[in-house]
Amino acid sequence: MDGEITRSWRDPELFVKALPSVLLQTTCFLAPLLMTFILTFQRTRDFQLRWTWDLATWTEIFSKPHYWTILGHTLFMAIACVIVCIVLALPIAYGLATRFKAYENEIKTLITFAFITDATLKTFGWVLFLDKKGGANFLLSYIGFPPETVAFLFTDWATLLGMVYNLLPFAIFTIYLSIDNIDRSLILAAYDAGASKFRAHWEVTLPLCKPGIWAGSVLIFLLGVGVFLEPKVLGGGKSPMSAELIRQTFETRVNWPLGAALTLVLMIVAVFIVLLFTRVAGMKRAAT
Amino acid sequence: MTEAPILDISNVHKSYGASPVLKGVSLEVRRGEFIALVGPSGCGKTTLLKQIAGFEDVTSGTIRIEGQDMAGVPAALRPTSMVFQKLALFPHMTVAGNIGFPLKLRKVPPAEIAPRVDDMIRLMELKPEYLTRFPKALSGGEQQRVALARSMISSPKLLLLDEPLSALDVKLKKVLQAELKRLHRSVGVTFVHVTHDLEEAMMLADRICVMRAGRILQLGEPADIYYRPTDPFVAGFIGETNLLPVTVKSVTAKQTVYQSDEIADAKGNVPAAMVAQDLAAGPALMMVRPELIRRVADGEKMDCSLSATVTEVFTKGGTVQYRARTDKGRELAVEIQGTSALPMQLGEKVRLGWQKKDIWLLRPGEA
Amino acid sequence: MNHRVEARLADVLLYGSMAAALIFFYVPIFTLIAFSFQEGRYLTLPFEGFSLKWYGELFRSAPALNALWNSTIIALVATLAATTIGTMAAIVAVRYRFIGKRAFQGLSGAPLAFPQLLLGIVLLLWFSVLGRWFGFNTGIVTAIIGHVVYIAPFAMVIVAVQVYNFDPVLEDAARDCGAGTWDVYRYVTIPILWPGIFSAAIFSFLLSWGNFYLTYSLAGSTRTIPTFIFSGIAIGSSPLYPAIAAVVFVPGILLVILANRMRQRG
Repeated sequence: MDGEITRSWRDPELFVKALPSVLLQTTCFLAPLLMTFILTFQRTRDFQLRWTWDLATWTEIFSKPHYWTILGHTLFMAIACVIVCIVLALPIAYGLATRFKAYENEIKTLITFAFITDATLKTFGWVLFLDKKGGANFLLSYIGFPPETVAFLFTDWATLLGMVYNLLPFAIFTIYLSIDNIDRSLILAAYDAGASKFRAHWEVTLPLCKPGIWAGSVLIFLLGVGVFLEPKVLGGGKSPMSAELIRQTFETRVNWPLGAALTLVLMIVAVFIVLLFTRVAGMKRAAT
Repeated sequence: MTEAPILDISNVHKSYGASPVLKGVSLEVRRGEFIALVGPSGCGKTTLLKQIAGFEDVTSGTIRIEGQDMAGVPAALRPTSMVFQKLALFPHMTVAGNIGFPLKLRKVPPAEIAPRVDDMIRLMELKPEYLTRFPKALSGGEQQRVALARSMISSPKLLLLDEPLSALDVKLKKVLQAELKRLHRSVGVTFVHVTHDLEEAMMLADRICVMRAGRILQLGEPADIYYRPTDPFVAGFIGETNLLPVTVKSVTAKQTVYQSDEIADAKGNVPAAMVAQDLAAGPALMMVRPELIRRVADGEKMDCSLSATVTEVFTKGGTVQYRARTDKGRELAVEIQGTSALPMQLGEKVRLGWQKKDIWLLRPGEA
Repeated sequence: MNHRVEARLADVLLYGSMAAALIFFYVPIFTLIAFSFQEGRYLTLPFEGFSLKWYGELFRSAPALNALWNSTIIALVATLAATTIGTMAAIVAVRYRFIGKRAFQGLSGAPLAFPQLLLGIVLLLWFSVLGRWFGFNTGIVTAIIGHVVYIAPFAMVIVAVQVYNFDPVLEDAARDCGAGTWDVYRYVTIPILWPGIFSAAIFSFLLSWGNFYLTYSLAGSTRTIPTFIFSGIAIGSSPLYPAIAAVVFVPGILLVILANRMRQRG
């Protein structure tokens, strides 16, 4: 739409409306992030924060491989989750954008509801389903499978299932939006050029919905490195991920500086990986 | 006319950052007049209209309405009303809600609004059952009438029209043009109508103001603009025209003497009335409208003539259009009343001529 | 492969994956609903029998009702604040052109891509340090602030879509009709953006209502439904939880349907 209106910051129409958001995100997002950074240079003794200004926390982090193993595991799980989500979301989003026009809104409502409902409840629902005496085994034994066929609850597989379950809608919606914006005539043009249906999609649709795939991947990755509920409830807390480690550092060890530093390390590494991929993708685009 | 102008625009400039949009525009509009601002897109006509309405401020210069300086007066408080290009009917209000909205804002009691909305409906020849419908359910032409009704209900002193007909198909456009003209005559409100269509402006307006690149090129009655343009751009803006380069030798109060290397003219002079005011000695253009040129029979006497070869024939129905190339290689457009037998054949070498009363000499411009 | 076989395969793939996805999404939800009707004390199949007894228990359980109440209060306040802030930010982010627009969009939307648990921790540190300086504890207010930080960007994105489709010439038209700044908002801007604002409010409510991570970090000793259930799961499942889930689902699905209806109208 051509409706952009130029406004100066002195114009009340602009700053009255911009101010609440700016104020909120500065005081309750940026400032806390900064505070987190500052806290990493302090220490806690006797459950009290001491303003010491030293690098003790950072020395500890870089000297203990334990933290990095957990971080590696977290990143691995997040990347696995991204790949599974994208692969699953592509046909779903494509179908939603092209095949189900009549029921599009109903399907969107169903997915939205599943997405927006209390994550704790849904995760708990999976426990009930995957349990030894849960829904899955009950149904399977009903049709003749041996008892306890489904036995991956409290493993990394269950964690991954929970992550995919909770994050898949992000991929579906971002990819759906980019497919919905594709000019259908481009695909028809590809047919005319003699491409088979799969070829046409492979060469036309897929590249065009790249922005959606990319946005979905970044979101899922960033949110995936921070999951806590899934490894705790579905994974049984056996192979902890970074978020659980951070929580323990705060709650059990009451070591704020260490917790703050681990939080920052996790975020910085995650953002760095996103930037790295962006760079590589950008270079590949420049090369072709 | 001694009465003070209802709208007085003097030396208005406007620039967005470094790029100027209006470069000194002055214009007086008389009470009750229908004036059209015409020009290609980007000429500044819409900006000027928005400044009158109060949606854009002026960088320098003044706009007065009824003698009152409008600087700092918000759009809501100006005695103007605008019909927008995209109509801008409120989609969430019914037709009655839309038309009555200006009165509602002026805190007129609902009991008084209803009869006035009915009056507008009658004036715009809309069906009363539309009142409860939403604008989406109406046709393009009906929406147009609703937009006009909404603009007229608050009895504005100036009605500003921003190309409101440009999105309509040709047939509907003609109907609504007639409607606008009737409306103007019946309500006596001053209309300022912006359009890029000079033909529309000719049909509707009492005076036309042709703009280009932030300046007014010419302000005059439709016949002035059509037959007596002061600028080649204005001459070429409507219909087809022929502009033949000549050299002006002298300009006096009685007549202008010119010279041409291909137009045969015994005397080489033009009466003063057929010459643009700012013409001076030097290069100039002779304008002849295609419909004023005709074939000259052998031995026939004609004020001006030249010989050419017919290169193209377009039969338009009532008239036939020709393209002819002069011996010097210049292209000439000619329009002749159609007859069952073509008066000129393709490839034929002919003599074309026109009368001195039909020419107009003007200064060459950038176009 | 000929075209007809290919088209068939594509249909099977697309319809099949959609069906699979919907089943996948609703497995835990239906499991919970099914378990809410079981009679026994243990959450295992087969059921000992069907009954509504746990619903009765739920409405006699003071901690559960308290959690329900806290969730509602937090969600209502957070919704009001987040929708207001998000709506204003959406107008700014879409409609206006100004210096620092990119920075504004980035700042206002950043929490969208920030893991909630980490946001909760970062905010917990912040409020703890501030609390020590100014003498307050985390509780329902800090939880609400955390929710607003996280939800306002969602509200902004939802309303932004509506702003994007709203032609600003309508505001000019209102001004031309004689509307002052406030009249324009009251009669034109807000009514036209209303479907977007309304669905943003519903989504905000549900996001806040079901939020675990931020509440968990920021609510102090205050329990909402999600944290109440989480604390219970850690000790051992209670037969009450499926009933809580079912009670929570009903208003949820109704609100999502309502939001979608509103959006279609707009």
